[in-house]
Amino acid sequence: MTANPITARLLPGALALLVLALFVGSLSVGPSAVGLGTALGDLLAGADTTAAVIVAEIRLPRALLGVGVGATLGLAGAALQGLLRNPLAEPGVVGVSPFAALGAVIAFYSGLSGTFALALPLGGILGALLAVGLLYALAGRGGGMLTLVLAGMALSSLAGALTSLALSLSPNPFALAEIVFWLLGSLADRSLTHVWLAVPFMAVGWALLLTAGRHLDALTLGELTARSLGVDLGRLRLRIVLGTALAVGAAVAVSGTIGFVGLIVPHLVRPLVGWQPGRLLLPSALGGAALTLAADIAVRLPGGAELKLGVVTALIGAPFFLALVLRTRGSAA
Amino acid sequence: MARGWVAFCGLVLAFAALCGGARAATPPQRIVSLNLCGDQLAWMLAGRGRIAALSHLARSAELSYVAPQVADVPIVQGAAEEILPLAPDLVLAGRYTAKPTVAFLRAKGVPILELSIPQDFAGIRDQVRRVARALGAEPRGEALIAAMDAALAEPAPRRDGPRPVGVAWQAGGFTAGAGTLTDAVLNAAGLDNLATRSGLRGHGYLTLEAVVAGRPDVLIADAALPTQPSLRQALLQHPALTRPGALGRRVTVPAPLLACGTPATAEAVRLLRAALAEGTAR
Repeated sequence: MTANPITARLLPGALALLVLALFVGSLSVGPSAVGLGTALGDLLAGADTTAAVIVAEIRLPRALLGVGVGATLGLAGAALQGLLRNPLAEPGVVGVSPFAALGAVIAFYSGLSGTFALALPLGGILGALLAVGLLYALAGRGGGMLTLVLAGMALSSLAGALTSLALSLSPNPFALAEIVFWLLGSLADRSLTHVWLAVPFMAVGWALLLTAGRHLDALTLGELTARSLGVDLGRLRLRIVLGTALAVGAAVAVSGTIGFVGLIVPHLVRPLVGWQPGRLLLPSALGGAALTLAADIAVRLPGGAELKLGVVTALIGAPFFLALVLRTRGSAA
Repeated sequence: MARGWVAFCGLVLAFAALCGGARAATPPQRIVSLNLCGDQLAWMLAGRGRIAALSHLARSAELSYVAPQVADVPIVQGAAEEILPLAPDLVLAGRYTAKPTVAFLRAKGVPILELSIPQDFAGIRDQVRRVARALGAEPRGEALIAAMDAALAEPAPRRDGPRPVGVAWQAGGFTAGAGTLTDAVLNAAGLDNLATRSGLRGHGYLTLEAVVAGRPDVLIADAALPTQPSLRQALLQHPALTRPGALGRRVTVPAPLLACGTPATAEAVRLLRAALAEGTAR
């Protein structure tokens, strides 16, 4: 895979512009006919109008979370693919997001997050940590593609079943219907509180993952070579596991499980930046933000009830995943 | 032992047949209700002495207006085999109450009164009169209707400017539009229903943006249960709604008042008018 060096250099800037455009788009779309211009004018003038409230308190949190959650999923997908040296790794597919959802469900429906707000992201992070740990133990070292996918599938089903169980046991009559949110994800009607709860943890996770690039590059040469180049493999693993758990755990705790973003984006970006996993990280984060924002705009377009975000990403992602499986099978044969 | 039971059941059935034959002359004395709204009407119109059993929902504090009074009345889950031995001489059933059970009871000669679902106060009057006639309690029925109409006739608080806007917004954004009892209650209280104004007919959903954009003077929303959290109820506490100035007032209307159209529904109108009057006084 050869990449045009100019493309690779311009890519982050171009993706950042795309994210910005989609961010503005996300602020402009909604069920009520409120124009972004009017609202911004009111906000700047300090006027407490309906338009200002709708944009600042309903659409802004949604757009911010679209960027944060999308960047997290894209980045975590790229980092996991680098660490596991496996193109099918993705937080949703391998069970990290479903376990994060389980942790968040337990924290929320037990009432814990009602008395201690940070319990929600912490629950998600603990769930994600458990899943990444299990995954690494099951399929981390020398495990083939098949082992990873099978282990991930088992973890996802287990987390989905436990989430359904936890919601069935909740005394609240609405809880059972909310399985849909936790399994398919949504950014609808989130508030700035959710942004403040999730973003600090996500930012720490991003920092851990984005700075692992050079070591991930070395790892592509094999564990022995990487070690001879001075890479402390134990610390690298810990960094990726912690970074993924912090970012994905906090993201899923406020958005539910949004699948496939971390799978699609690194694969779309890879031909443009070349084979080095380190170069893939930042563009994948930006690409993840762009894809999630675009999907979240699509679910809000008029024409019936709002779809869950995970439905749209799965509609795009699942065929993509199948194509990828076919391609890797072809190259292995 | 078994023979004793057979004899007892035979007696009960014979008694039921006798009562059935004498129905035209005497009002029903062993009333069974299979429907939440029937429970409340039977209690208001006939009283404890003539009720053989009510539905299990009658005791639900969340749904039933008469829950505190009916704690010692026998209840049925709604299966034909628990109803027949009670030898009812009138069964009140909802329009959607388990059809096979009702058909079975009818085939066994049990008189059935099927209730309608009132969509407004005229509907409530019709329903009360119909049930009162069947129970032989016409004077009591007229008294209840008169009390309801007196409550409705109390003047609505005077407000300057346009008609105030109200909306009943429940967990998950569920709401009631045109042609619903809730709509009639809002209108009777002098409120314009935001859901109806948004074009909703019957029951459906209203988005958070639509509610915020409508700036309702009155929002009927139950408070979330802090010990049993859910995302749907968390929506009712969204910062865009709880911030000062987002809406006039948040009013809690006990669900039993709106769950069934009964003379007690007028109390919901009274609550809303009181809230509006307070809002104007501020």
